[in-house]
Amino acid sequence: MNEWHASLLNSPILAIALTLAAYLGGVRLFERLGRPSWCPAVLIGALLTATGLWLLGLPYPDYQRDVAWLTLLLGPVTVALAVPLYQQRQHIFALWKPILCCLPLAAALAALYAVVIAWLLGAPPPVLASLAPKSVTAPLAIGIQEQIGGSPSLMLGGLLITGVMATLFVTWLARLFKISDPRLIGFALGVNGHAIGTVRAFELGPTAGAFASLGMSLTGVFSALFLPLVWRLFGF
Amino acid sequence: MTLLRGFLWLLGFQLLGQLAVEWLSLPVSHAMAGLLLLLVWLLVTRRLNEGVAAASQALIPLLAMLIMPGVVGVFFVIDEFAGHWTAVMLALVLGTLLSVLTTLWLMRRFMPGGAASVDTEEPRP
Repeated sequence: MNEWHASLLNSPILAIALTLAAYLGGVRLFERLGRPSWCPAVLIGALLTATGLWLLGLPYPDYQRDVAWLTLLLGPVTVALAVPLYQQRQHIFALWKPILCCLPLAAALAALYAVVIAWLLGAPPPVLASLAPKSVTAPLAIGIQEQIGGSPSLMLGGLLITGVMATLFVTWLARLFKISDPRLIGFALGVNGHAIGTVRAFELGPTAGAFASLGMSLTGVFSALFLPLVWRLFGF
Repeated sequence: MTLLRGFLWLLGFQLLGQLAVEWLSLPVSHAMAGLLLLLVWLLVTRRLNEGVAAASQALIPLLAMLIMPGVVGVFFVIDEFAGHWTAVMLALVLGTLLSVLTTLWLMRRFMPGGAASVDTEEPRP
């Protein structure tokens, strides 16, 4: 019995199967709960995965190593986001001016608000550095982190909370201000809520999805260039 | 086969992205560089090949599932938040509320045809 257990834990297949099962379970529960925007399917799936790991006695670092076989696909999927951007090019070209005016300001403020609030509340520089890339998609945020310092796990936690909060606030504020333009909603989701916001935007439709991918990639590239520079200027 | 061919294209562009990043020592990830290169390629050739379209249609819905394992890590590092719990949570929640508000406001303000709205009546600061 113990041998079987050990052999199962040694193969990456278990981690991958657990991930797929937890995700599908998460989606099922999400539908059952009436698609609440405060609790995306990803979060339910992650909770189910964590529970599964605990029940199986599989340590998180081992899971992370095994599931890398699956998450390797994140690369080609990111590249694939070029396709909806291309297909929606007319919509995007039509709005190049507002996009270009808003993006640098919106992306810089997304980082600035969080850093200033945390700083006012007395958080030390490593915590500030972990919060700064909060609206950047994970692979790029890890790159930024290497340049400005801080804790990678705190940063990933911040990324998750930001993604969920951005999804929630965009839905809520769009309703409050009677904004129904999918281009605007999608863009706001991508700029503030990175991949989690983009996933939500694709649920709303292809136009919102394309604008979210656009917002996410522009914010990512802009922040990757801008944050390390600012950090050096202020000498944190 | 179409799907496989498209997937190979995506991998090819990711590798090109990797080369570009290493060569020019850019601060972006390989996949993001691949995305930008593929976009430029599509815009220049003005033709979306069937394989790439099929592969992207198959892969994009997987995005949520692929970011999930990273999210799982949060439950295992919650202790690290402990000392600065209030500062971190307030910064994330309030910061995100403010930044979403700013983005929506800015986009509306610069939108062509000025989608009639209450807040565009205010003079710009």
